[in-house]
Amino acid sequence: MITLVLAAGVFYGTLWGDDDDFPIGPFRMYSTSRELDEPVGDTQMYAVNADGEEFQFTQTYTGMRRAELEGQLDKFEADPSRLHYLADSYATRYPDRPPIDQIRIVIEWIELDNGLPTGESTVEEVVSWQR
Amino acid sequence: MAEVTAEAAPAPNMPTRIGNRFMRWLFAPVPLGRVAALRTLTYLFIVFDVLVYSEAARLKETVPTDLYVPLHVDEVLFPFIPDPSTAVVQTCFWGLLILSPIAAIGIFPRLLGSVIFVLYFEWMLIFNSYGKVDHDRFAFLLALAVLPTIGRARHGDKTLSEKAGWAFRLIQLAVIATYFLAAWAKLRFGGLEWLWGTSLTWAILRRGTEWSNWMLDHVWMIKTSQVGIITFELMSPIIFFVNDRIRPWVVAYFYVFHLVTWLAITISFAPHLIAMTSFLAVERVRPLHWAHQWLTSAYRRVRPAEATGVAG
Repeated sequence: MITLVLAAGVFYGTLWGDDDDFPIGPFRMYSTSRELDEPVGDTQMYAVNADGEEFQFTQTYTGMRRAELEGQLDKFEADPSRLHYLADSYATRYPDRPPIDQIRIVIEWIELDNGLPTGESTVEEVVSWQR
Repeated sequence: MAEVTAEAAPAPNMPTRIGNRFMRWLFAPVPLGRVAALRTLTYLFIVFDVLVYSEAARLKETVPTDLYVPLHVDEVLFPFIPDPSTAVVQTCFWGLLILSPIAAIGIFPRLLGSVIFVLYFEWMLIFNSYGKVDHDRFAFLLALAVLPTIGRARHGDKTLSEKAGWAFRLIQLAVIATYFLAAWAKLRFGGLEWLWGTSLTWAILRRGTEWSNWMLDHVWMIKTSQVGIITFELMSPIIFFVNDRIRPWVVAYFYVFHLVTWLAITISFAPHLIAMTSFLAVERVRPLHWAHQWLTSAYRRVRPAEATGVAG
């Protein structure tokens, strides 16, 4: 009986569910398909501290993984002030360092030509916040 | 005799026979020693997991819960689950770090196993509720859920258990479902275009290594690999139809697949690899037992010498 319920749950998840349905959601790692000329996006975040130093604002500083930023990107775009939560997280993690005044998220679009990287890329700023 | 036959139920028809065969397969007994071995492996892995592999969950102790995006299971099924405040993250972290090594010994398997399952489930909710859900733990999570149901099991115990058989079959089904349904998801979200698209190029550009970056220049290799991945995933249930001699080789192939994936795009599926040992006779690997045997025999070799020394 338990076996059947579990099986039904997982099949439901794969057919109609999405990632929100963890743990029975679909196993959709890298499951979207890509066109051969579609640029590949690499999301990056940068921060500027009170001393004016700019650095890449990575998971070690913020506690947020790149994929998590990408997953919440639409929320940050809708309300850029949400980025201050990351500055808060940094302040908790590194209380002795100068506070963060600016954060910006950019996507580096790596150009592809017929599936081959052309070596060219453009940087698009998606959202930014200033204290 | 004739009377008994007359009174006995009529010979089972075709569907019943298939049903019976299925139940025998579902509950095919496994030795308790295998349970003990899988338990040790699983619970020891949790230590590595919370310290290294899923450390991103621990990082959340500083992230304001405003960035927490609850999953359906948290919102709908268990609305009482607390948001991952610093205290919640730390409770899970220390709870798992302390209890798992104890559970690995095999004591209080039901109690400790259940507590660990609850803590680990919450750990996973934290890990997966900030905008990204990982897909490498379904079978591992299921193993944590069913291992406590088996009860006591000692290393080296050859007693066969149907209860253990059912638990192991479920873990195995979850391992294979991860592959098979992953192919399904690719076809559902990506369509057939996935096969000749650039999903792998995308993955390598984002997380490639020196082992894989050269592939970017050979689009045909990318496409061949993609076709290979889907073919492998769709064919994975074959493992349930091969005999005992061939099965370890199929499992070995699975492990090689993950090794290559890890070298190419640094995605290791580590918890899944632990759950996959449920296909193997892991009870035969007994490092502590071997060490004990070796020490005993070494001691026996030394003692006669001591004895002669004293006599001399």
